[in-house]
Amino acid sequence: MTAIASARRNVPAPGSPTTSPAAHVQASGGSVVARTNPRPAAVSRSTTSARELNGILRLLTCGSVDDGKSTLIGRLLFDASDLYDDQRATIERSRLAGTSGLPDFSLLVDGLAAEREQGITIDIAWRYFDTEKRRFVVIDSPGHEQYTRNMASGASHADVAIMLVDARSGIKKQTLRHAAILDLMGVRRVVLAVNKMDLVDFAQGKFTAIADEFAKLTTRFGFTEAIAIPVAAVTGDNIARQSENMPWYTGPTLLGYLDGLPSRITQATGQFRMPVQTVLRDGLDFRGLAGTVASGNVCVGDRIVDVLSGRSSRVLRIATMGRDLEIARTGQAVAIQLEHDLDISRGAVLSGAGPQPVAANALDVRFVWLAEDGFDPKASYLLRTATDLVPIAKLNISALLDLETLQTTPASRCAMNDIALAGIELGRAVAVDPFADQPETGSFMVVNTLTGASVAGGVILEARAAESPIAISATGFVVTRATLAAGLCSDLGDNAADRAEFERRTVELVRLFGAAGTAVSFDI
Amino acid sequence: MTVAISHLDLLEAEAIHIFREAAAQFRKPVLMYSIGKDSTVLLHLARKAFYPQKPPFPLLHIDTTWKFREMIAFRDKTVRDFGLDLITYVNKDGVERNVNPFDFSPSVYTDVMKTAALKQALDIHGFDAAFGGARRDEEASRAKERVFSFRSAGHRWDPRKQRPEMWRLLNGRLGAGETVRVFPLSNWTERDIWRYIQREELDIVPLYLAAPRPTVERNGQLLVVDDDRLPLLPGETPLVQNVRFRTLGCYPLTAAVKSTAADLDSVVEETLTAKTSERQGRLIDHDQSGAMEKKKQEGYF
Ligand SMILES: Nc1nc2c(ncn2[C@@H]2O[C@H](COP(=O)(O)OP(=O)(O)O)[C@@H](O)[C@H]2O)c(=O)[nH]1
Repeated sequence: MTAIASARRNVPAPGSPTTSPAAHVQASGGSVVARTNPRPAAVSRSTTSARELNGILRLLTCGSVDDGKSTLIGRLLFDASDLYDDQRATIERSRLAGTSGLPDFSLLVDGLAAEREQGITIDIAWRYFDTEKRRFVVIDSPGHEQYTRNMASGASHADVAIMLVDARSGIKKQTLRHAAILDLMGVRRVVLAVNKMDLVDFAQGKFTAIADEFAKLTTRFGFTEAIAIPVAAVTGDNIARQSENMPWYTGPTLLGYLDGLPSRITQATGQFRMPVQTVLRDGLDFRGLAGTVASGNVCVGDRIVDVLSGRSSRVLRIATMGRDLEIARTGQAVAIQLEHDLDISRGAVLSGAGPQPVAANALDVRFVWLAEDGFDPKASYLLRTATDLVPIAKLNISALLDLETLQTTPASRCAMNDIALAGIELGRAVAVDPFADQPETGSFMVVNTLTGASVAGGVILEARAAESPIAISATGFVVTRATLAAGLCSDLGDNAADRAEFERRTVELVRLFGAAGTAVSFDI
Repeated sequence: MTVAISHLDLLEAEAIHIFREAAAQFRKPVLMYSIGKDSTVLLHLARKAFYPQKPPFPLLHIDTTWKFREMIAFRDKTVRDFGLDLITYVNKDGVERNVNPFDFSPSVYTDVMKTAALKQALDIHGFDAAFGGARRDEEASRAKERVFSFRSAGHRWDPRKQRPEMWRLLNGRLGAGETVRVFPLSNWTERDIWRYIQREELDIVPLYLAAPRPTVERNGQLLVVDDDRLPLLPGETPLVQNVRFRTLGCYPLTAAVKSTAADLDSVVEETLTAKTSERQGRLIDHDQSGAMEKKKQEGYF
């Protein structure tokens, strides 16, 4: 490791001797800010400590109680050598205190007091470590049946999952459940860590049998890669260090394997999608559509479509503080100014010239129910997409998925931890994609209108555009009789009084739009 | 070909995303500005998120009246330079009762001058969302914190009322009486904060850089005598030493470390290879076991 300080600049020795406290206080009171000193251009940025890591990999760990999950996570943190001395000392103390002579790595992953008392993890915990190459985020979620929801929400963030089993007992019913949840949430890579190999004498036969069974199990799902690695978390065998106890194993260590994986974000090379979060203005000249590029990329000059309004324009400018960009890539947060201001606002999803998102009023979905209160057909719910929030007109649950048999059974209700298939009808169109095509714009949450609680989270299987009663002509927005009948006047019937009311509302609408100076034509 | 974006770029983009989501969803947000390095990064990201606009919310500083003087000077300059709105709030009741870090235990003092003050300020102004610089890597009880952390009436944090967060979807719909704390730096580590300050060439309070300062040693901790309100114990004479701070708070409760890292690059180098975590310098945390978690439930963040 190179010391940056010496590589950069010769810093004058700190302060000439200051003798009295009073004198010092005056002196330091004088300078209000500490300035970053401009860096000499010639200095290399590649010193170990100053480097920027090559991306972030989010790692979900799942396993049954006592398979060694906490130990494994602690071991990963420990081996990645990013720990502070006080943490290392804790581990050393545990080794001396225990009877086995082995350190307790799980001490590094302590939870909340309430959970400690119950002796069980009930939530997702986030931990961080770095290798030479990249940042790792460990998403630690419990594997119990009653915590399907936690595992599912953890999985929604993960690039890869480590599934842990005990070498003595091998694949369990839980393992299938876990694989099913991972698959549902779009995790495409899984690693089976066959742990506690020390307790089966590091026997190759034990491992091979488990690895074979795992290979069979995973063919039932859509994983692009599923591998098994024999490890011993406590001793560190095949975690960061190739195990000398298992010379028969020639594959990668766990960390070695993880270090080489692509993340979801680098995989998101699909069609350009940018959900608009907000509109930023600067005087009359700048109206920027602010958002994070969810997938693909976009360049200045590219044609942009807003599928909700059906209009398009070109990218004039990609603004960020400090400098404008020529190209915005997946994961970047930018503000896009268009050549023609399309009056787009939050909730729109910008797309490119290729396949468009669907302006959908009806969705087929699969979700996990998260709330303690089950689905209530009388309650009012909202659909939260990337940046839109729309009233749900109808939510029809059709079936529940049994995670042990992977069979569906017809149902119309669901409770916490259930995985349900459902149809959703919306109060108005949202811009979304099928999850399988564009995961970043194909996921959603269901929100309880009254309490605000996030009651379900899931993926879109199919998005259907209801025939739009709103016609958009070249001259702009046209409101037809059908538009009004479908929405504003849907409560009205065909008797004289209702027809008069229809008339009144229409006239009022024309007046309001006129007063607002909005160009809307009426074709009644 | 895919181009890998560096981890700092991703963290930056994520924070900007969170700022924009919160500003779009909440009626009246505020940024809790504590002047320290995390706040410095937080504010920089807020400015980036809304550029070319100014951040559409004010800054709130809870002044315990025991902050280092250099912190206050830095705060005022920052607000001036960037043209921001600053609200400072002092718990007058606490001042009247002379609640100070010497005659009261650190936890009582913090409770009155920080926690109660924050709740009062949020209530008086009717803020429904408050941005904070807390990170999940800071402490075990924060490892499970959400990005949108909901508080029921009275600002209480109930672990069981926290909402699952999936994908990048942030649900900010509030139930009756609820407010929310928003943590754009959730996934940053202490090292990231320093790396980012260095990369973006951000100004920080000079107390983070080593300089000769008058110090006294108490219970193995180095305190800097910031003004004449620090009562010297019998036999104590301030000793001028080269020290800096890894974390900033109220000066009687914030320990300095001996260091010669007098410029940002050396501080970053020292921090990136540091042997102890930053909270060791924060005296209140040693007060009782599980202290942070209790404080959190009571509304201290
Ligand atoms: N012999 C041996 N014991 C292990 C290994 N990994 C974990 N253990 C032990 O298995 C027990 C359960 O581990 P823990 O990490 O708490 O499991 P968790 O419930 O999955 O988090 C503890 O007593 C660990 O010390 C291993 O590789 N070898």
